Amino acid sequence: MTIFSPFKLLPLLIPAVFLIILGVVWLPAHPELLDNSYLHSFKTAFIGILLEALPFVLLGALLSSLLRVFVPDEWISRWIPRRPVPAILFGCLLGILFPVCECGMIPLVRRLMQKGMPLYVAVVFILSGPILNPVVYGATLTAFRTHPWLAYARMGLAFAVAAAIGFIIYATVTKSPLRLSIRRETGEPHRLSTRGGRFVSVLVHTSDEFFEMGKYLIIGCLLTSGIQSFMDHGSLEAIGGMPLGSYLFMMGLAFVLSLCSTSDAFVAATFLHTFPAGSLLAFMVLGPMLDFKNSLMLLSLFKTRFALYLFFLIFAAVFTGSVLASLWL
Amino acid sequence: MNDPRSIRVHYLLRAVLLLGFALYIAHLSQQDALHYYVAPKLARWIRLCPVPLALMAASLGIQALFGKSSALCDCEHQLPRSLFRSTALYGLFLFPLLLGFVLPDRALGSAAAARKGISLTYIAPEEGSGERFTASNPYQEEFAGLAGRLYKQPVITVHPEIFSETFGAIDLYKEQFEGKQIKVSGFLYKGQGTDGGSFAVSRFLVQCCTADATPFGILLDPQTQISLPADTWIEVQGKLHVAQYQGKAVVQITPEHVTPILQPDTPYVYSNADSIAAWEQISGAPAEAGAK
Repeated sequence: MTIFSPFKLLPLLIPAVFLIILGVVWLPAHPELLDNSYLHSFKTAFIGILLEALPFVLLGALLSSLLRVFVPDEWISRWIPRRPVPAILFGCLLGILFPVCECGMIPLVRRLMQKGMPLYVAVVFILSGPILNPVVYGATLTAFRTHPWLAYARMGLAFAVAAAIGFIIYATVTKSPLRLSIRRETGEPHRLSTRGGRFVSVLVHTSDEFFEMGKYLIIGCLLTSGIQSFMDHGSLEAIGGMPLGSYLFMMGLAFVLSLCSTSDAFVAATFLHTFPAGSLLAFMVLGPMLDFKNSLMLLSLFKTRFALYLFFLIFAAVFTGSVLASLWL
Repeated sequence: MNDPRSIRVHYLLRAVLLLGFALYIAHLSQQDALHYYVAPKLARWIRLCPVPLALMAASLGIQALFGKSSALCDCEHQLPRSLFRSTALYGLFLFPLLLGFVLPDRALGSAAAARKGISLTYIAPEEGSGERFTASNPYQEEFAGLAGRLYKQPVITVHPEIFSETFGAIDLYKEQFEGKQIKVSGFLYKGQGTDGGSFAVSRFLVQCCTADATPFGILLDPQTQISLPADTWIEVQGKLHVAQYQGKAVVQITPEHVTPILQPDTPYVYSNADSIAAWEQISGAPAEAGAK
């Protein structure tokens, strides 16, 4: 174990301080260096996504710390039904109670699992929560006011996909796929010795969660805004020419754009006249379940093998579901 | 596990970063620059964020400075152990702050609109209009009602508050609006590449944040000579026509006046839950209100 000493930081701090001074003093005097349309749309998209996610991440971290400090473990396991079918239904409907966006979901679910929520219920909640809630339903209906059945289909397909994946995981996964560090619930709570009492202890845990999730969030935002500002939508639309290509294209787009589930319907609506309705459904169901930002966060929660298995299940279920739905609609 | 002294350093660094985020949001909100990044309904929540952030920073600071060494423990949330990992982690959090403070805040423009693909229609073409301002399904009723009210105006002013709904209503009943006078403001979009030479007066519709910004534009007659550079804010007054553009019927304006204006305080437009009520409220006010 290395001993972390502030003096070791000096060789790194000096260049960092130099760069900061350069950035603050010299750059504003030479704005033409940074006057570049790509850089501007990158910054606008990056800060936009980050600010949009921030309240939700904070809320998720705060809820999770409140659960940790105030809610005894037995409560959670008492609330969740024992048998799988009611438990999965419970997981699907939990989103109505906690309308947290996908970014706030992971810290909350992590704590719930530590408090005894079974894995398959947690996965169902992660998948259905960002779609099956009143806010998203309202937004989708507004975006597709000319095609309201797409909003119903979105809710239905999200429910079906989440429930199906819940059953598959209930049946196939027996070992805990959580990453080791979170499983180590120490029996001896040291929170009582935190200076400042329980209130401060909640805040310290909130900031721990914030830094834990924040790094994945920032990397996700960097990738997403990079793609958004350097990629030409028109050049990608050519890929969508094949019969099933449009489904793959819209799903890929949902993955890379990492939109918030309350706003993605409006983006989907602009594709209404270029792509079949089924592929828009795939876009709106896959996006909140699986995208850049979110998959990095899932990788931090679960072991890599399980996370990849989950990604595959989501992809396969959404693809089959939306193709079937388009045949039926 | 880290020793208590390094935990103190970590906590202090984190407290500084959290304070930095709180200050950045306060700065944006004070400069009235939040609307460059997020929609107003979300900005409310973001304005609240500095409070928990500052409280978190304060409690980390208390732990770092006054906490008992025996109580400092990172056994549940592991702090990074090596110097390299710590630098990477805190550098990552420093990046948005630097980017935010160093680069000026600016609205999205023509270049972003071209990359995202500008929408010249609001709805799918097969949803076309039937009889005069009647809705073929209940979800068109809002548009039908708005279109009926707009049609009675001698000059239709497109108010930024209900830009997308007005555009939707006109687009849905474009045949009926043929020849009507319209007045609209937005930034000048100049088409590049395949649609070279086309001009449009455009706005970005923002739902949540700039990541979902969708550019909407009303095409200007290609015959008009416009020497203004792209991204200039303009006000256009002219006649509405239906034109064929890349195989689709779109709304087009034959401009009579194109006047450069100052960039409005809120460059983006947002969706409105009840556009008819909003329209009644705006049109009750003096006519100049919409021109801003």
